[in-house]
Amino acid sequence: MEILWFGTLAVLLIGYFALEGFDIGLGMLLPVLGRTPADRDRLVGAMGPFVLANEVWLVALVGTLFGAFPILEGRVISGLYPLVVALLLSWILRDAGLWFRRRVGGASWRSVWDAALCLGSAGLALTWGMALIAIVRGLPQDALFDPPGIAGGIVVAAVFAFHGWTFAAWRLPGEPVVGGRRRSSPALLGSACVAAAPAAVAMAALASPILDHAAPAATLTVLSVMVLPCVPIMVGAQLWIWRTFARGAVPTFF
Amino acid sequence: MDVVDLARLQFAVTGSLHFLFVVLTLGLAPLVAIMNTRHVLSGNPLHERMTRFWGQIYVINYALGIFTGLVMEFQFGLNWSGLSHYAGDVFGAPLAMETLLAFFLESTFLGLWIFGWHRLPKKAHLACIWLVTLTAYASAFFVMVANSFLQHPAGAVEEGGRLVLRDFGALLTNPTLVFALPHVISAGLMTGGFVMFGASAYHLFRRTAEREFFVRSLRIGVVAASIGATFTVGFGFAQFGPIGSVQPDKFDGAVQGAALGGMILIGELGQFVVLFALLPLLFRDLLARWRWLHPVLMLMVPLPFVAAIAGWIAREVGRQPWLVYGRLRVADALTPGMTTGGLTASLVAFAGVLGLLAVVDYALIARAVRRGPGLVALGAPDLPAEPAPAPARSL
Repeated sequence: MEILWFGTLAVLLIGYFALEGFDIGLGMLLPVLGRTPADRDRLVGAMGPFVLANEVWLVALVGTLFGAFPILEGRVISGLYPLVVALLLSWILRDAGLWFRRRVGGASWRSVWDAALCLGSAGLALTWGMALIAIVRGLPQDALFDPPGIAGGIVVAAVFAFHGWTFAAWRLPGEPVVGGRRRSSPALLGSACVAAAPAAVAMAALASPILDHAAPAATLTVLSVMVLPCVPIMVGAQLWIWRTFARGAVPTFF
Repeated sequence: MDVVDLARLQFAVTGSLHFLFVVLTLGLAPLVAIMNTRHVLSGNPLHERMTRFWGQIYVINYALGIFTGLVMEFQFGLNWSGLSHYAGDVFGAPLAMETLLAFFLESTFLGLWIFGWHRLPKKAHLACIWLVTLTAYASAFFVMVANSFLQHPAGAVEEGGRLVLRDFGALLTNPTLVFALPHVISAGLMTGGFVMFGASAYHLFRRTAEREFFVRSLRIGVVAASIGATFTVGFGFAQFGPIGSVQPDKFDGAVQGAALGGMILIGELGQFVVLFALLPLLFRDLLARWRWLHPVLMLMVPLPFVAAIAGWIAREVGRQPWLVYGRLRVADALTPGMTTGGLTASLVAFAGVLGLLAVVDYALIARAVRRGPGLVALGAPDLPAEPAPAPARSL
């Protein structure tokens, strides 16, 4: 049973990197790819319908950590205290950029929230990279922001940017915002694997300490009985998003 | 202030901000779903405009519910790791279910509903908003299961210095849950109703062009507020019995006593006014025609929000000094090694950013109300699949 819930945790973290990775990457690249307000609207519109379904993987990841590995939840989140605070503030800033940028018509209003979207995305990528390095090194309290951590942040930012660009060239093929280039679905799958690689490496390195800290069998049984029957609905809802928004007109709400 | 006070203040501030937005989400979701249903069944364009206008208010409000909710979820691990250490094997389960069974689906279906206009078949699109409503209620259920466990740790026993789960059913039938959950859900409906009739009164008072739209909205708001207020007050008083048996001196302190008194005053007064003044005046649309009453309706909008926060203060301050009632003290649940400096920094950062965004969000809601149903972004046309061609340049 611990293996089942470790698997759930791994799927959620790897899935979060593979999915939310392109939103974060595209958010970072927004001022680079979108030189005009109209270009930025198209780029944000392309990823907009996916964001709510993607970011929720991290909410589910932390929930799973709390339910199935509670001691680890307290230890990891408090052990990464300043990084988690920075990650949350970046996440909120990125989301505020998305939700608010089109709520008022003026150009200066939209550029303020586009800046929030870009900075928040960059903050998310950097803090994630630093957090993964810190977790793999066993949460050293005095070394959250040292060179290896910063290098991890830069690596994650780079793979997310690559994934975000690939997503844009897949969703808006041949358009000027991606320099007229196109990417196929297998290419997007490839960039998703690249974006998810840091998460997969970290989970593999941490498998045995995580398995040692699982909740008792009674808790895991209750969780399994309640959650497993709903997994097909969760997967189905995610697939429905991709079926609906992969092609065609670009929605405008975000 | 010491570390315990700072950590408590951080939870109180983010929790209160969270619930201000969540209570309206819980109330507007079913109302928007009903409007959307009438639109799909009747094909009447007025119902479509109502769905989009009130849906937009709902969605703008939703944003802050997410931002504050993220901080809430992580805050347990940041500041209260003693809770997950002592009680995580029990308390973590309903929170995990909330994220996996409720919010994961709610967020996904909300994305389909917001962006799926003109794209999904009408009935599939309608199903999405009902699924959002259902999963929002499921979310409230699991969060209340977790909170009720802190009020009365049923279904768990202590073994080796930690709580272990013995009876999951006892968590779901917790005496501090069974009346509190419908109380919270009804308070949401009451709040949604107050916001609807207040916003409608604004347009009727200003004599804007959308008279029929807001006469109907006013009616829906007053009916929703009547149902919500009745059940909120009923399930509020119903809680005294179970609370008396598991937390007998809960309301003895000054803070929780004042909060409880304030909430009861607003609840009973609100119920009285809505049931015996506003509801009868729906007859022949007297309420819509009596313009002098409309400023009063607008001024009533903040009341359910104040009552909701007062209710949480009564419930949570009344649990002190326990985090898990009778088992774990708040002071013993703090993350070890936290400093006042670090906690002050995170408190200022979270309260500052969330407070600022909350102000922006309320300004955006007020703006959307003022602009009326003529200018609604939700369900507006998409950008074309091909980008607009660059304008040809001639030399």
